[in-house]
Amino acid sequence: MTWRTSRRRNTWIMLAVAVVACAVAPWKPVWLDTVVLTGILALISLSAGLSFGQAGILSMAQGTFAAIGAYATAVCTTRLGLPAWAGLPLAIALPAVLAWVLARMVTRMPELATALATLALATLLEIVARNWDAVTGGYVGIAGIPPVEGFAVGWRFNILVWTFVVLAVLVYENLMNSAHGRALNIVRHDRTRAMADGVAVAPLLSAMLATSGAMAGAGGWLYAHYITYMSPQSLDTVASISALLMAVVGGAGYILGPVVGTFLLSLLGKLLPAQEAQGLFYGGALILILVMAPEGLLGWIHRRFEKKAAREPAAVAGTAAEPERPARTLETAP
Amino acid sequence: MSGSLLAARDVRMAFGGVVALDGASIEVRPGCVTGLIGRNGSGKSTLFNCLTGFLKPTAGVVELDGRDITGRSPHEVMRAGVARTFQTPRIDFQTTGRQAVLCGLYPRVEHGFLASLLGLPRATREERVLQRHADEVVERMQMQAWSASKVHELSMGRLRTVEVARAIAADARFMLLDEPAAGIGRDEIRVLADEIRGLADRGIGVLLVEHNFSLIRMLCDDVTVLDTGIVIFRGTPDEARRNDLVRQLYLGAAAAGEAA
Repeated sequence: MTWRTSRRRNTWIMLAVAVVACAVAPWKPVWLDTVVLTGILALISLSAGLSFGQAGILSMAQGTFAAIGAYATAVCTTRLGLPAWAGLPLAIALPAVLAWVLARMVTRMPELATALATLALATLLEIVARNWDAVTGGYVGIAGIPPVEGFAVGWRFNILVWTFVVLAVLVYENLMNSAHGRALNIVRHDRTRAMADGVAVAPLLSAMLATSGAMAGAGGWLYAHYITYMSPQSLDTVASISALLMAVVGGAGYILGPVVGTFLLSLLGKLLPAQEAQGLFYGGALILILVMAPEGLLGWIHRRFEKKAAREPAAVAGTAAEPERPARTLETAP
Repeated sequence: MSGSLLAARDVRMAFGGVVALDGASIEVRPGCVTGLIGRNGSGKSTLFNCLTGFLKPTAGVVELDGRDITGRSPHEVMRAGVARTFQTPRIDFQTTGRQAVLCGLYPRVEHGFLASLLGLPRATREERVLQRHADEVVERMQMQAWSASKVHELSMGRLRTVEVARAIAADARFMLLDEPAAGIGRDEIRVLADEIRGLADRGIGVLLVEHNFSLIRMLCDDVTVLDTGIVIFRGTPDEARRNDLVRQLYLGAAAAGEAA
């Protein structure tokens, strides 16, 4: 069994990338900061990829789920004086529960209505965060969030971040290798078909969105302890939209698509000139990518390899003999 | 009566002021192929959808093995052993025939969502069993030669085979086929007819909604004729062919359609 046919292919690739990221980043402080933030965004983007790419639920609340995780741990550590690790279970469970309830209510609606409902929830919770002074600190936010015990040093925290990313990819890939993952793909493609296959659509989507919310919540936990400050502007609707964009640019239907997209857009942000013109270049690059590769960068690469395989008959025979692979996962290394 | 039976009794279905079904009844027995015919708009699809839970009848009862399953949701009806196909195959064209069969195995899955996420041993074990089952179904339906091809590369006839394979994968006891011969060639119809007969021989109760009366004659043990939401005839295909009302209302029209 080679890495290309392994059932944990994406996780192995992710592990390799994470090891490189952790080894190279500490050389320069600027790199380290970029790589840590890229990892945190990748986690939130992965959660968007799971819900949009696999189940077709366009959630505009992924940043909000992360914010809930961040606020949960911020409140636990600064107001209650608990250690950062005590905030983690809450930072994962709270957004998961909220996402479950949200999915129960909105997934019966048509796709666009679902997207708007998640946006409405995000806006609503942002207002709550602004006004609930006693808990969230209102506009001022919560400052002085302590670092994670044992991971206070930059390079160590970086390893922690990428461990979370690898774990998220592992869980994600486990799901997509299972019947529940296939059922999510059927639901994305055609709900009537899914019902005829015996899929209970609403509970399945709720479980999926809860998982996605938990991933984003973990991202929020890392964010809060890295930045040490949390306010209503920290992980807002803009963060939700950019998490979705990163997933779509990389290839939302592919497990590693969101990670690739996050790397690409982070890199773009660093390489582009002056702050004022950045939006222009950023937007232009985005349009270019989406026009040239509507299925994202990995979709584009996948297609090229399929074409190449079609030109080489021997390669086709080779793929036909391989064991069944789940649809639309990573076919080749980025 | 006892024993395995799928039945609709005095089903009435009204969409606003339009009455699609007005007291229609039908029975599907294990090991038998029951035909359901009628002109366009006679209520065949409505009755079909009532039987499979896609529509909740305004009045009347749908029974499975003597249990009332009226108003159950489609996935519950499917899990109770009643599978269906669609007139226009609803398949993700980027998947393969074998993957479609795997999707049909979903009701067999016993492990939960969390077990899948964590990759627990019982989830992995069950996945291996599912993969093996998929191979068995592929073999039973004689799809081996082309089951690895993408669905969009397949002919309409093979697409129908994939639909049937997907529906029976989870051990359905009743199989409801919505115009399976629509849009496929003569040779492929013969293959399909063998498959349907094979389903009945294995003890599955088949309901066949069909416009092709020669296929009905070839396969069906008995046939129900609907017109304007009312059952106008029930009996063997040959009796139906001799029945004046059926000839006048349905077969005449069908014959005219065939000639055109």
